[in-house]
Amino acid sequence: MDGLLRGRLIQVAALLALPASTIFAQSPALPDAPGRDTVQRVCGACHPATVVLGQGRTREEWSQVIANMISRGAKGTSGDFAAVTDYLAKNLSPTQASDNSRSPRKRAGFSMGPDDKQIVDPQAAGRGSTIYASNCGSCHGPLARGGRNGPDLVRSLFVLHDRYGSEMQPYLQERHPAVQGTPVARLTEDQIKDVSHFLHQQVDDTLRSGPYTKVLNVLTGDPAAGAAYFSGAGGCGECHSATGDLAGIASRYDPPTLQQRLLFPRVAASSRGEISTPKPVTVKVTPENGRSVSGTLVRIDDFTVALRDANGTYRSWKRTPNVIVERNDPYAAHDELLDRITDNDIHDLVAYLETLK
Amino acid sequence: MNLRSLLCAIVAVWMLNAQALDPKKLWQAPVDTWPTYNGDYSGRRFSPLSRISPENVQSLTLAWVFRTSSTTGDLGGAVKSTPLVVNGILYFSIPDHVFAVDARSGHEIWHFSWPSKGGWHLGNRGLGMYGDWLYVETPDCNLVSLNSKDGSERWHKQICDLDQFYTASGAPVVIGDHVIVGVSGDDLDIPGYLESRDPETGEPQWHWSSVPKPGEPGSETWPNAEAMEHGGGMTWLPCTFDSELKLLYLGTGNPQPVIAGKGRKGDNLFTESIVALHVDTGKLAWYFQPSPHDTHDWDAVETPVLIDGEVDGRPRKLLAQASRNGYFFVLDRTNGKNVITSEFVKTNWAKGVDSKGQPIPNPAKAPQVDGALVTPNQGGAANWPPPSFSPLTGLFYVNATRAFSEYYIFDDTEKPEGWSGNDRGGGGESMLQAIDYRTGKIRWSHKWEGPGARAGVLTTAGNLVFTGDSSTNFIALDAKSGDPYWHANLGAAVSNGPISYELDGAQYVVVGAGDALFGFVMQSSK
Repeated sequence: MDGLLRGRLIQVAALLALPASTIFAQSPALPDAPGRDTVQRVCGACHPATVVLGQGRTREEWSQVIANMISRGAKGTSGDFAAVTDYLAKNLSPTQASDNSRSPRKRAGFSMGPDDKQIVDPQAAGRGSTIYASNCGSCHGPLARGGRNGPDLVRSLFVLHDRYGSEMQPYLQERHPAVQGTPVARLTEDQIKDVSHFLHQQVDDTLRSGPYTKVLNVLTGDPAAGAAYFSGAGGCGECHSATGDLAGIASRYDPPTLQQRLLFPRVAASSRGEISTPKPVTVKVTPENGRSVSGTLVRIDDFTVALRDANGTYRSWKRTPNVIVERNDPYAAHDELLDRITDNDIHDLVAYLETLK
Repeated sequence: MNLRSLLCAIVAVWMLNAQALDPKKLWQAPVDTWPTYNGDYSGRRFSPLSRISPENVQSLTLAWVFRTSSTTGDLGGAVKSTPLVVNGILYFSIPDHVFAVDARSGHEIWHFSWPSKGGWHLGNRGLGMYGDWLYVETPDCNLVSLNSKDGSERWHKQICDLDQFYTASGAPVVIGDHVIVGVSGDDLDIPGYLESRDPETGEPQWHWSSVPKPGEPGSETWPNAEAMEHGGGMTWLPCTFDSELKLLYLGTGNPQPVIAGKGRKGDNLFTESIVALHVDTGKLAWYFQPSPHDTHDWDAVETPVLIDGEVDGRPRKLLAQASRNGYFFVLDRTNGKNVITSEFVKTNWAKGVDSKGQPIPNPAKAPQVDGALVTPNQGGAANWPPPSFSPLTGLFYVNATRAFSEYYIFDDTEKPEGWSGNDRGGGGESMLQAIDYRTGKIRWSHKWEGPGARAGVLTTAGNLVFTGDSSTNFIALDAKSGDPYWHANLGAAVSNGPISYELDGAQYVVVGAGDALFGFVMQSSK
């Protein structure tokens, strides 16, 4: 037994002797960096914030994840969401996440699938792609999703149970139906491992990440019809102007973001990796026998209302039938639109907005 | 062994052991015990306790707080499980952890932690109990049996394949000598199933698949064998059970691939269905499909609530579901025939309702490459948090959301897999809906001030409704009118279904919010 191994075993034994609470206090943690507390609070309200460990995404991809979480009910201010996006983009970029993934302590079980799943080496997958294309693709299809003569390999139990060729190696060399006298039988161990990386890459891409998470094309409408809707039935012209506030809008936002912003302006559509900051709801509170106070709504429920006035002072009131609360939501007209706008109107409007470069 | 003789045998053992679950409690309304996920097999979450009433609810006080993070560090996430209460002890779970807590004082008795091999740590719905034994599912696909006395592991059995991206989050339901377990997972295209396991050994007793094999009934609703073999239909949530009919009722999850449906033309039975299975064999008795050929991730897994009621002057055995797709269904639970279909929030995705009472999806509202504006959004008009039915008011209470989103196809290639699309959007509004089960109409609606109220609901014989709002309040409302009477800000949104029980003449209400469980109490007036 070498010293290093003995040292590890002593560590393991020491760990086993500790109460569970101590072990868990040392469990995988979010990288210590600005915004960590916000991630813990905003994301941790629904799921362990550590689910993000081992997931590597670009800023744009993270901002799409955040937008998706908001649509699923994530709670926070626009500042919170900006901080969360910033934290994830800086600390869990594609390269950093794969570094994290290689450390078993940080990986411990908080993403989808098994902890010991194969960590795809992109270079090996690239080599594997070439080997696959010339040896396997004609039967199993270009994306390994099955073809005329071969089953889907993304859904194959051999592939899903495989780790770095562990299942594929014996199968390809002994049991694959096309083995006899075909090039498949002559693949080396290293080549099979490369193909394994390629196939696991296809599996990863099929999970809710990778290349299949992007809006493809929303520019299918008629710009002229969109312009007519803008100034006519849509009523957009009552608040907006193509030469005023919307001048150059298409230079600031890509078409999918234009579509999201016209439908859901309050929410956090992402543009080039940034979360947009919505205009605040304002509120006027008139207490019984008191003077009205107006300001930015901080929070409201059935029991209390709170605002921040023009001086930045926070005020709150208990709500009773005699306390009058008047809300002014700058996006109310957009909400009202959702029940009457048609899909064609939406596509036309986006096509029109795209002309406002 | 039939159920009756089995019960006798278990009762004999129970009399020797004061910590074990008296099986008779499983067949009664919950008073000093909350012995299964929904309190009893009906799924009503109606407590017959009436010590807390509209007159005195303002005196409800905090008795204790139990914070899971003080034991586990920061790993927990929200408490989504409904605790069991048996002989004065609460048993509840978060992924990989089980806690036993004194139901009077909130002090920890023991804590079990599972060494995880992976899986999706999204939430855990809770435990099942049989005599001395507890059952919990783990995210890495195991069913674990624990000794309720000290939390020690008795055995664990694999119930799904982690490599296929299955995970497990449901609360096992114990019915006689069956431990009913479901499976979860929504990432690769895999078939859902429900199993009955032996309470002593954990070995399978029967296996019901959410998708048929070629030639079986339902296979005509799929284009080919591969599509059905990878067709989804996860069994996320605990079933309900009618002991006279010996039928268990289960809602199944979305078909897969989730968003891109072009490779699975047809209704895709038995995904997004309410199914009745024979408890001793797992054989299908009937089905009803809330969302034929769904492409919006609208799992129809919401609790099928059993109502013994009256329709048109006749006593009826009914079942009601407020489904994620925005529709409220009332069925005859003896045969699955539709009694009522109505919307509990306004939707825009169906062309109408067919002769069987099932909504007919509008193909224009399926996800599109350039987007389709759809309501409900993916989060749904309702979701997993449990609703409640009060036999005193005849009303079905559910926290509802009305929100729109754009549904997109992200993969328009020949054979999309996995999700291959998603929705984007957000906002919307949320409200507590009180639905008359005899008409399907909304009797009253209490609109919350913001979107996203998703809390579970409890009703009591004190004519109160307990739930959470769109903020972080735990609220008691008048069950007849919807007027809010009492609230407490718990600092995090209510994250489970509240429960109630009586000990020493005091009525407790226990609720989860964030990483903590809160115990409120109304002391005896004597």
